[in-house]
Amino acid sequence: MRRTAALLLRHGGGGGGISQALADMLVCPLTKKPLRYCEASGSLVSDAVGISFPIVDGIPSLLPKDGKLLEDHQEKSGHESSPRDSSH
Amino acid sequence: MASGAAAAARRVLLLRHRNRGHQNLLPAQHFSSAAAADGLDGGDGGGRVKIFDRDLKRRHRDRAAWAMRETDALADAVADNLLDRLEDCRKAFPSALCLGGSAGAVRRLIRGRGGIEKLTMMDMSAEMVKKWRELDNAAGDGLETHFIVGDEEFLPIKESSQDLVMSCLGLHWTNDLPGAMIQCRLALKPDGLFLASILGGDTLKELRIACTIAQMEREGGISPRMSPLAQVRDAGNLLSRAGFALPGVDVDRYTVKYNSALEIVEHLRAMGETNALFQRSPILKRDTALATAAIYQSMFGLEDGTIPATFQVIYMTGWREHSSQQKAKQRGSATVSFSDIRKQFGSDQD
Repeated sequence: MRRTAALLLRHGGGGGGISQALADMLVCPLTKKPLRYCEASGSLVSDAVGISFPIVDGIPSLLPKDGKLLEDHQEKSGHESSPRDSSH
Repeated sequence: MASGAAAAARRVLLLRHRNRGHQNLLPAQHFSSAAAADGLDGGDGGGRVKIFDRDLKRRHRDRAAWAMRETDALADAVADNLLDRLEDCRKAFPSALCLGGSAGAVRRLIRGRGGIEKLTMMDMSAEMVKKWRELDNAAGDGLETHFIVGDEEFLPIKESSQDLVMSCLGLHWTNDLPGAMIQCRLALKPDGLFLASILGGDTLKELRIACTIAQMEREGGISPRMSPLAQVRDAGNLLSRAGFALPGVDVDRYTVKYNSALEIVEHLRAMGETNALFQRSPILKRDTALATAAIYQSMFGLEDGTIPATFQVIYMTGWREHSSQQKAKQRGSATVSFSDIRKQFGSDQD
C-alpha cells in the first residue's frame, strides 16, 4: 500500500509525469534543445524537430527510436515565428 | 587500369556474396552502395561506422534485467573500484549521472561516497531501468534518484548540468565511443569528473581462442563471435580526443573461475554482454558450441576442474577543463635555467 502511495505521489509531482528536477536536466537527444511537457499526451515534446518522446510508467524514454513524429508539426511551426522552426 | 577494374569486379563479387549471406540479418539500406558494404551506414547515421547492433543490445539488456543475479561479484568489484576513486577527490559531487552497464551495482555500493546527493540513472533498456527502480525503492537510504531511458550515443542531458558522469561497463557497446564521451564531457559542469570503466582487449581471450579453434575445426572458417574491444593505449587517446583535461587510465585484470564453459555463457547473458555485432553469424551449430566448451576445458581448465576467464577492465578518468586545474606553462616562459637548478640541487644527486 505504501509503495503504491509513493508511486502515486511521484506521478502527481511537479512537471506532470516526471519530477521537476528531472525535467530540468533533460534535453532533446537529437538537438540538445529544451523539451516541453505536453499534458494532453503525457509526453515530452522537442519543438525543434517536432518529435514527442513518451513517458512510460514515470520514466521518460528518450531513445531516438522511441520518438514519434508529431503530425501537426508543420502547421505548428508555421504559427511560431522563431527562425529555427521556420527553417524546417 | 586493368588491375583496378579487376579489383572493382572482385569487390562487386564480394558485395554479392555478402549480400546473399546476410540478407536476412541486415536491413537493405546497408548494402545500397559499396561504401555501405564496408560497414558504413549511408542512411541516417551520418556516415558513421556501425559495428554493434544497438537494438539487439537493448533486447539483451531487457533479458539481463530478469536474468541477473542479486549480486554479481565481477560487477561489484568493478563498481567498487570505480567508486573508490571518488574518495581520492577532495571535491564533492552533488549531482551525478550514471550510465548503463552495471549501474545497479554502482547504486548499491555508493554508500555516501563522493558526496552524491542526486543520482540519475540511465540505460537503453526500459526493463533494466524498471529493475533498478525496484531495487532503489527497496534500498531506501534517502538518496534522490531519477531514472531515464536513453542512449549513450544520444545523451539527453542538459549541457553543464552534472558534477559527475559515471559509466560502469557500458560504453564498450557504443558504435561511436569518442562521440559518446564528448557528449558526456558537455553534460559535465566545468571541473566535473568523468569516470568510466570499459572492458579491454584481453577480455575473454580464452573464449576467443576456443571459439576460433572450434569453428575452424567444425566449420572450416570463422565468424566474429567477439566484439572488437579497446586497448589500453586507445583509452588515453580517447580521453584526450574527447577533450578531457588531466586524463588518467589504468587497467585491472580479474579472473573469474567457473565450473563449466556453459556457466560462462550463462554469466555473460545475465550481464547482457553477449554478441551484438552486426556481422555476427545468426547460427551457432550445436556441435560447434560443444566443441568450443570442450576445447576451453582442455586448453585452459585448471587442476581443480574449474575453468578461468579473464576480464580486463580499463578505468578512464577525465575532467572537464576549468581554470583552477594545473596546466603546463607555455613553451619558453621559464625564468630559471635548468643548469642553475642543477647547480643548486645537483650535489644531492651525485
